[in-house]
Amino acid sequence: MSSNLYVVIVGCGRLGSYLANALSGKGHSVVAIDIDDRAFANLSAAYSGFRVEGDATELAVLREAKMDKADLVIATTHEDNVNLMVAQVAKKAFSVPRVLARVFDPRREAVYRRLGIETICPTSVAADLFLRSVGRQAREGEA
Amino acid sequence: MKVLIVGGGKTLYFLCRTFLAKGHEVTVINRDSEECVRVSRRLKVTVVHGDGSDPAILEESGAHGADAIVAVTPNDQDNLAICQLAGLQFEVPRALALVNDPDNEEIFKSLGVTSFSTTPAIVSMIEQRTALDEITSLIPAGEGRVNITEVVLSADSPVVGKALRELALPVDSLIAVVLRDGRAVVPRGGTKLGAGDRIVLITLPENHGPVLRAVTGESS
Amino acid sequence: MRHAAYLRQRYRAILSYTGLILLLCAGLMLTPLAALLAWPAESSRAWGFAIPAALMGALGLAAWRLLRPLAGVVLTVQEAGVIVLLSWVIVCLFSARPFIVVADLGFTQAVFESVSGWTTTGLSVVDVTQAGHLILLWRSIMQLAGGAGLAIIMLAAITGPTGPALSAAEGREQLVPHVRQSAKLVMMIYSGYMIVGTIALRLVGMDWFDAINHAFAAVSTGGFSTRVESIGYWNSSAVEVITLALMILGNLNFVTAWLLLRGKLRAVGRNGEVRLMAVLIPPCAVGLLVLTCRGLYPTLGKSVRVGIFETVTALTTTGFSTVGYANWNAFGWLVLIVLMLIGGGTCSTAGGIKQYRVYLLFKSLAWELRRWLLPRTAVVEHPVWEADRQVFVKDARLRRVGTFVFLYLFVFVMGTAILAAYGYGLKESLFEYASALGTVGLSVGVTSASAPAGVLWAEIAGMFLGRLEFFVIFASLAKLVRDLGDATA
Repeated sequence: MSSNLYVVIVGCGRLGSYLANALSGKGHSVVAIDIDDRAFANLSAAYSGFRVEGDATELAVLREAKMDKADLVIATTHEDNVNLMVAQVAKKAFSVPRVLARVFDPRREAVYRRLGIETICPTSVAADLFLRSVGRQAREGEA
Repeated sequence: MKVLIVGGGKTLYFLCRTFLAKGHEVTVINRDSEECVRVSRRLKVTVVHGDGSDPAILEESGAHGADAIVAVTPNDQDNLAICQLAGLQFEVPRALALVNDPDNEEIFKSLGVTSFSTTPAIVSMIEQRTALDEITSLIPAGEGRVNITEVVLSADSPVVGKALRELALPVDSLIAVVLRDGRAVVPRGGTKLGAGDRIVLITLPENHGPVLRAVTGESS
Repeated sequence: MRHAAYLRQRYRAILSYTGLILLLCAGLMLTPLAALLAWPAESSRAWGFAIPAALMGALGLAAWRLLRPLAGVVLTVQEAGVIVLLSWVIVCLFSARPFIVVADLGFTQAVFESVSGWTTTGLSVVDVTQAGHLILLWRSIMQLAGGAGLAIIMLAAITGPTGPALSAAEGREQLVPHVRQSAKLVMMIYSGYMIVGTIALRLVGMDWFDAINHAFAAVSTGGFSTRVESIGYWNSSAVEVITLALMILGNLNFVTAWLLLRGKLRAVGRNGEVRLMAVLIPPCAVGLLVLTCRGLYPTLGKSVRVGIFETVTALTTTGFSTVGYANWNAFGWLVLIVLMLIGGGTCSTAGGIKQYRVYLLFKSLAWELRRWLLPRTAVVEHPVWEADRQVFVKDARLRRVGTFVFLYLFVFVMGTAILAAYGYGLKESLFEYASALGTVGLSVGVTSASAPAGVLWAEIAGMFLGRLEFFVIFASLAKLVRDLGDATA
């Protein structure tokens, strides 16, 4: 990740703003979209990207964020359906090379993987980690 | 047919009533518990309370056996998710999504979801600026490139008493059907038009106004 | 006690970055020595530059390296403001030294010229016929650098602080979604103007030295000239046209310029500042022509040229002139004073109240009138085009603009009063102080090497406050005072 990427982050909540701050700090050009402009308060003083206030399910808003120039789009709103729609629009309509979507519901994850969307499911990831930790504890208990 | 409808409000209510009147079996999925109660009281439908884009809810609602699913929620992203899930996971043969943002119609199509938007229909109705009581605009078909309009011919309409071949209608327009005394006739050149006939006109948006004027005799 | 330790840590970063700026400006101070290649006879004067540059460079280097913050510190806007204040003051003081040594000016006069250079004003106490090439080039370089802004120079050059705070504190808007990319882009656009301008001026008849100096001074909307008569020396329409183009480009907001360069003409056409310029320049030029210039100059053509040129130079706050104003009537003086007060575009090299604020206030008037005609319960939003998107102006914004304009006019009156107190005429005081506060540079004679020190210091204060738009200075001073109190408590 050395060269300057144009990143669009949809949804500026805890995860979105964390990613935005980190990427902007590393030198990338970042645009953050959120439906509520109070979410931009999550962005740190180090953030030097742009902010777009609007509903990401509207094409006009994505165009305002210049998604056609994006190298990477990360969808991190609170709603799975919005993330999935944005991811698909980014791939199909804007031909963005790399698209990532957060999906909370593990059951939906499988279906969308079939559609070719790269998803990250915090629930599954956390569950894995928890289970591994429990597994370790069980083994230590037996020993 | 077994139809699943996801959504709420008046759109849902009247859709259900229409489907029921045609003899189809309807299941409604809605997120708001109070609305579910209301629908359940007023219509003879199965009402499921839950999120229509949740695979578990779809399964419970019998998506595996559904012939069609219609998503009419106010959120385009939910309608997209519902139809895609229904198609991919439950293989429902017909899925239709309401699209609120007309820009999204293209996208939905490229993602394999049939959609419709009410915005162009409403807009074209306002834009025609013609007497709405005698004229019903049925559907703008072919992505808004064709208008199908039903017009009742009044007695003082300029085309009454004339045969089709005598009419000087603008180019690229057609009188497709003449409804008279409850019967539908596909007219030929010699068919004469009478007062009280209901004609179905096919026009392009560019000549819609002039054709209507020629047929109704009204200057808009 | 903890707070004092915390402050010390923050000030390490602040002073370190200030040091970096000093180091870069010290490098800049050595660039006029390039003129020695063409005029080796002046090499004896080189020490007047080399010594202060070396001192400032050493100071800067020491501050930067010794106080270097340990981790990647992110500056807040307030801290960036302190950096801006400190670096501007120190740089201006060191930059005055060459004028004392080489041009034989007193301390007050030297500081005046230095501040006039960095703030891109252009008022001068130097006799350009005697100054020598090194001094003349240094003046133009100060204006070029000051126009770009110290923050931009630092950001575009090497590693500097991360975050947009420094750029914002100096009044720069971002062109693209990363502050460093944006700074580089601004520098590129600016350099482009400079190179094209120099070549163009050379082609219409200036020699290389004059072309370089005037190009630098034009794109930075500074106004220092190598000739006593300024652009009037050449009395050439071609020179004036090129200069006009450069002045207008320099006064464009960099975001607008970026849009223009990319061909987004519709967005440029909707821009409030562009519209204001379109509404102001023609009537003022015509007004000047008909009511002031017509009787004064030998040909109609000359009067037309004067009308247009003087209008644009005053509005863009450049300060080049083609004629003197002694024989102008009151109307002409008034037009120029008003234009100087209005000033150029925001986030450009220009000064004054700035066109965007004036535009907003006019729109606000229109919105108020409209509100009277609408139903009482109507909800009204106020759309305005900024760059290539539409934004809705909130009342808080209008309030800040109103307060700024009030402060500006207040300082204007104060400054004019000081000049009048020294015995200058009312119209001369109004004109000269509007020129100083707006960092314009047009003069009617009040500013000179023999002017009283009080007058010069009043103008220095005006230039400084005008360039940094008051608040950065007041807020940073207040913060410094308070922090010093806390740190030594």
